Amino acid sequence: MTTLLEINDLSVRFPLSQRLPNPFRAVAATHIDILRNVSLTVETGETVGLVGESGSGKTTLARAILGLWPISSGTIRFCGDELKTRSSFNSVRKSSAMMFQDAVASLSPRMTIGSLLMEPFLIHGVGVENRKAKIAELLNSVGLTPDIANRYPHALSGGQARRVGVARALALNPKLVIADEPTAGLDVSVQGEILNLMTELKSSLGLSYLIITHNLAMVRHVSDRLAVMYLGRLVETGPTRDVFRKPLHPYAKSLIAAEPQPDPRKRRTDLAIKGEIPSVLNRPAGCEFHTRCAIVQERCRKEEPRLRNLAPGRFVSCHFAEPETRN
Amino acid sequence: MSEAILRISDLSIGYDAGVGQIHALRNASLEAHAGEVIGIVGESGCGKSTLAAAIINLLADNARVLSGAVYYQGRNILELDRNAQRRLRGSDIAMVFQDPMTTFNPVLTMGDQLVDFQQQLVEISTREKQGRAANLLQRVGIPDPELCMQRFPHELSGGMRQRASIAAALLMQPNVLVADEPTTALDVTMEAQIIHLLRELRNDYLGAIIVVTHHLGVVAELCDRVYVMYAGEVVEQGLVDDIYHAPRHPYTRALIACDPAHFEDHTPILPTIRGRLPDLMNPPSGCSFAARCTIASDVCRNMVPPWVKISETQSAFCHKAMS
Repeated sequence: MTTLLEINDLSVRFPLSQRLPNPFRAVAATHIDILRNVSLTVETGETVGLVGESGSGKTTLARAILGLWPISSGTIRFCGDELKTRSSFNSVRKSSAMMFQDAVASLSPRMTIGSLLMEPFLIHGVGVENRKAKIAELLNSVGLTPDIANRYPHALSGGQARRVGVARALALNPKLVIADEPTAGLDVSVQGEILNLMTELKSSLGLSYLIITHNLAMVRHVSDRLAVMYLGRLVETGPTRDVFRKPLHPYAKSLIAAEPQPDPRKRRTDLAIKGEIPSVLNRPAGCEFHTRCAIVQERCRKEEPRLRNLAPGRFVSCHFAEPETRN
Repeated sequence: MSEAILRISDLSIGYDAGVGQIHALRNASLEAHAGEVIGIVGESGCGKSTLAAAIINLLADNARVLSGAVYYQGRNILELDRNAQRRLRGSDIAMVFQDPMTTFNPVLTMGDQLVDFQQQLVEISTREKQGRAANLLQRVGIPDPELCMQRFPHELSGGMRQRASIAAALLMQPNVLVADEPTTALDVTMEAQIIHLLRELRNDYLGAIIVVTHHLGVVAELCDRVYVMYAGEVVEQGLVDDIYHAPRHPYTRALIACDPAHFEDHTPILPTIRGRLPDLMNPPSGCSFAARCTIASDVCRNMVPPWVKISETQSAFCHKAMS
């Protein structure tokens, strides 16, 4: 396998406006860190699931990869080439596509489905010989009939709009598809359809996916590798199966335990995780998770944990995570 | 079991849509007893929100009640005049909405709003009302209730707002609490906390809680009895354990089978329910699930199915429930 996308020590920070000093803060902060030292790779043909609560920086990471947010430090390499300049990001947008979270809102209400599907070609200056045939081909590939090409987005159901989103992402034969919450707001049966479609296209077109979601049940079935984010930092990465079987970071552990089980006989009596994600404006010192962690110690409040390799392919950023002992 | 607090019998509701009428709810029946947590589960468009709106009488203007009744303490609340309905709302039947952002008025502080919600209590002072609100905020797990009451809704996080809206619903000690997708807008960790809170509240809350959701996991974690809805009809009802471990309606089975949380192992191809919801302008004459059902036969397509009683606590709306 070759590495398709390689993110190394990526940080994204936003400057804060200096015109209004905050009187409640002793030392005025000049910036906020949205992403901190994120390193992640996506191999060719691999599906990586990126999970975490809202506010953990998942979407910012996706946007940074596509050059939609400026990066502060670190590198992004796509197919071995470093992305730095505007034109390098433009070229990467041709071979990596994004499926946006809100499928209906990502389609312009004043354009027909057909012209929406032609947009990627126009933007990247790719000529299409037979537009009608291309539109029909794209719609067919996502299981829609060509007659919806003349309709407007409001006339589609949520599942259909999602499929149009997939077709648009696939228009330029990308190598990488970044899917931001591909199933949010869909019913369980439709959710299965979209995921099956994505899996099918992955094998027929040789795609790689970066799936951003907070739906753990879903990501468990479609991803090969899992990356768990908390407050802009990766806290655990590893093969999906291993992470689910035995999460090593306390946050990954409680996130997996928090998922409601569709079985009344497996009701939990205790609460896996208390409190809520702190604000990036007020990042806890030391380990970011120490305010909610069940096994917090004095060291966690002072010292930032480093990402450690605890098992083959598994990296955990926690002072007290232990590698699995075989018995 | 005691007399039901709330009883919906054969309720049918249609929405005028210009070109015809959408039969959003057809002959739905439901019973809720004190101390019970009822789950109403189904996919979008199955009528669960219409049912919830009928309970609290917040139906849209184009909704028509075609038949049936909603009995609360023996009275049909659909026939009450507007003022009587208003007196019930909030004080007897309260609701927690899906989106905690839009539940509150953005230009008033939480405290002002929580006091306003008690306007029917004319005999007690504002100060007392503030005390009651603070107590309830504390009860739902808001750490600093006095401070929270001085804040505006946008200053609270999504989870805190949902907690506050549960507190607001409980202010008047309603007998029926309807929660429409109470955790859908929240993260998994916050969802677990809200489920935990609702479960804890039921211990000292005497009324019935009705939870409307599409999330099977939420129902399994929280409810005692479940009503499964499809295309405007209740298709199966029973104790939560029966529904999850011995479902009799093919739709219930398919719905449970589709939930990805159900599989322990990596499953690349997930099961789905083939086909689409029927057109609710012209609902099918037979069973509404027949077109998508794997065991449907001619009788299913032509005849309305009977309510088959499977046990004292479970029944299914299917020709083949016994086979």
